[in-house]
Amino acid sequence: MAGKTTLTIGIEVNGEQVTHAVEPRTSLADFLRDTLGLTGTNLGCEHGVCGACTVEIDGAPARSCITLAVACDGASVRTTEGLADDPVAEELRAAFKAHHALQCGYCTSGMLVTARDIVMRLPEADEARVRVELAGNLCRCTGYMGVVNAIVAVLAARSPHPRQDP
Amino acid sequence: MAKFGIGQAITRREDQRLLTGAGTYVDDVALPNQTHAAFVRSPHARARIVSIDATNALQLPGVVAVLTGADLQADGIGSMPINPGLKNGAGKDMSAPPYFPLATDEARYVGQAVAVVIAETRDQAEDAAEQVIVEFEELPAITTIEAAAADGAVQLWADAPGNIAAQTQFGDAKACDAAFAGAAHVAKVAFMNQRLVPVSMEPRGTVAEFDTASGRYTMRTSCQNPAGLQKTLAEGILKVPAEKVRVVVGDVGGGFGMKTQLYPEDAVCAYAAKKVGRPVHWRASRSEEFLAGNHGRDQYDEAELALDKDGKILGLRVRIVGNIGAYGSGPGAVIVVAVGPKVITGVYHIPALDLRAKALLTNTNLVGAYRGAGRPEAIYLIERLMDQAAADLKMDPAELRRRNLIQPAAMPYKTLMGEKFDSGNFPHMLDRILELADWKGYEKRRGESKAKGKLRGRAISTFLEWTGVVHEEAVRMEVAADGKVRVYTAMQAMGQGIETSYVQIISETLDIDPDRVEIVQGDSDVAQGIGSMGSRSLYIGGSAMMTASKETIEKGRSLAGDALEASSSDIEYKDGKFTVAGTDVGIDLFDLAGRQPGKRISIDTLQKVDGPSWPNSCHVCEVEIDPETGVVEIVKYTTLDDVGRVINPLIVAGQVHGGIAQAVGQAMLENTRYDPESGQLLTGSLQDYAVPRADDLPDFAQYCDESTPCKINPLGAKGVGELGTVGGTPTVVNAIVDALRPMGIQNLEMPVTPERVWQALRTAKAA
Repeated sequence: MAGKTTLTIGIEVNGEQVTHAVEPRTSLADFLRDTLGLTGTNLGCEHGVCGACTVEIDGAPARSCITLAVACDGASVRTTEGLADDPVAEELRAAFKAHHALQCGYCTSGMLVTARDIVMRLPEADEARVRVELAGNLCRCTGYMGVVNAIVAVLAARSPHPRQDP
Repeated sequence: MAKFGIGQAITRREDQRLLTGAGTYVDDVALPNQTHAAFVRSPHARARIVSIDATNALQLPGVVAVLTGADLQADGIGSMPINPGLKNGAGKDMSAPPYFPLATDEARYVGQAVAVVIAETRDQAEDAAEQVIVEFEELPAITTIEAAAADGAVQLWADAPGNIAAQTQFGDAKACDAAFAGAAHVAKVAFMNQRLVPVSMEPRGTVAEFDTASGRYTMRTSCQNPAGLQKTLAEGILKVPAEKVRVVVGDVGGGFGMKTQLYPEDAVCAYAAKKVGRPVHWRASRSEEFLAGNHGRDQYDEAELALDKDGKILGLRVRIVGNIGAYGSGPGAVIVVAVGPKVITGVYHIPALDLRAKALLTNTNLVGAYRGAGRPEAIYLIERLMDQAAADLKMDPAELRRRNLIQPAAMPYKTLMGEKFDSGNFPHMLDRILELADWKGYEKRRGESKAKGKLRGRAISTFLEWTGVVHEEAVRMEVAADGKVRVYTAMQAMGQGIETSYVQIISETLDIDPDRVEIVQGDSDVAQGIGSMGSRSLYIGGSAMMTASKETIEKGRSLAGDALEASSSDIEYKDGKFTVAGTDVGIDLFDLAGRQPGKRISIDTLQKVDGPSWPNSCHVCEVEIDPETGVVEIVKYTTLDDVGRVINPLIVAGQVHGGIAQAVGQAMLENTRYDPESGQLLTGSLQDYAVPRADDLPDFAQYCDESTPCKINPLGAKGVGELGTVGGTPTVVNAIVDALRPMGIQNLEMPVTPERVWQALRTAKAA
């Protein structure tokens, strides 16, 4: 502990290149929140279970609480703040509102990153598949129905072959 | 304005900031020059603190201070208050060990804070906390109800004989005995209502500062009742007048009752901020939440129901024993011995009652309020008992309920608990839910499940809950010349959408655009009141918004009369404007405000309601069980909810859905276990404690019935926040038991995991 070591990392965060000295033990989440002031990413459990801190690393969802910042040297990271102008995220935000997919909002940043990934990766996903894909993000408020419905609605709106409602 | 008014499913005003990461939760606050706190916690369930040596810790980089219980005592810091009014096992005032923010002589549960390290960074504080050497002398400990109640059990507190911190008795035991003596049948149940962890997604946290010039503390925290915490912190802990403490609350990442308390860590941060002369920031880790954020439930319950040959209830006998943890501070005891019993008779006419309840001390974390707080336990008991009785009598459980429902003509109805139901049409609700859930079509669905090799079960619950807690709330409404109506309230948003609901009520009543309404909350300096708990925010707070709006119009009418040189009785109000009747002479509400001293019209409203409200509901659940694996799937879930007048159906549905999710969690997934030998918490992380996930839950079909508005408040709304949790747990468990009853299985302890189902089926097969 004495003789603190730091490493300098270069990391792209929400499209901007950042160079910073960090302790090897600093998590990406703490780096984003405490060093860069990006508090849109929330910490729910700090042991990689709840998914509240989910961000995109090199285009894929990842837990920022169990990812070390030094491991992201050279990586591209996108947080909820970086999704501000993203058209898919904008569709999701509108759907989240319409379907009451959030209450306290603490899990929402992570939910949006996961939801965007589902929409982009699984355009044909049905409700059951959405529930399985979403199972890595805990929400204690909604019972998930609003979140699932919001994602299913965005999938349907984006589908080139609109499905018939059952 | 009706488009945005009462009854509309408008989307929430809170959503935009929360969807863009712009919310401000307490850990997002970073004050200049702030320090960070890390707590040293007891590794023992019960131990005497022999010594604390901080020498090594103090030499580590960044460490500012190490504080112990002795420091707090030397500075006259108080203990967490015990609610007055309850009696212990010897009939004297309830007594329990003093709960100091840092343990002094004895630590009484694993995870209790015994020292705090203040350092420049969180990491440095945590490093140093590991180097604080505490010498403990282990003492015999108790973690379970069984051990606490056993003959010859270790006595944890001299003034709590039998480890009974509080006990109560309700009803008439003699009359109840007579009812049982004349019964054609007696149904019995006995089971645990297991301990739960609330798991708000946002852990607790506090950022405290002390201003030397003004001698004032400011505590930013995540709670449901800033004004309540202000008083506890000031008067109970710091021993300063209330105005020397300000509590500020931003966005709250879930409360569920767990955030209605001042916690030891909050008090320590406030104390330490003065001591070190810098702001102190603490964020609980999830482990600390499991160890030391209030738990819920943990009761052992027994009940017997006496019935005549037609299934009419003659009497109810109930024994409740609750484990409230190591201290008597907070609502733990009152939940067990007073709050839960309020609804023990459910929606049924019960002519004789004998209820006894005890709250026991153990060496575990404190049990406090968790969504429902006593009512889920009571409704679980009566609804399980009703199903047991129906099975014993070979009667349709819906029919047994129908025969015992309180009739609408009996309203207002007084129960043997002394509670008064103002409204409710329970038979109508039952009729409707049976249609909505297609009760009659069940046999066909059961056949379909059977064809797939699955066991199907179903259950219905008819129930109510008690809301309100304290039957008044004060708000201030100000119409300002800048075109805004601002409402200052001690009610607190925590995800329940109360801001949006209030705006709907105010914009409709004042007949103005909703964008003109601002709800100001989360600051003990701007509003004093009780706060958000016990499903009171809409029932009482929403009524206050309506009343304040009406009083604003009346005051404005008088002021408009003066301004327009007309009699106020000739002034009409519409569309945000006062006009002289029959003319086009008028003045806009906000222009009128601009002409007043201070350029505003201000109203202070103290909203009172005539007792608790009684939201009631029917749930129907159908499950499918795979007999090979014991896996239970909820395949159909329907609710019909009488929450009185609905302000926003979208929000009501969300409250019910989320409530059921927590109920399903208790029924099928969640369990908090302490090792009975060592007192260690075995379920101390989200890897050991199973919170429901998206693929654990079904879609819910949720309906409202608005035919019976609340009669004892101006708004007509009854409250909704806890309703789904109260009724969901017995409905799910009864449905599972219904599927397994043909094999002779009458009970399964919660959580009903696949393993428990599989074991029960195996045992039944072997028998």
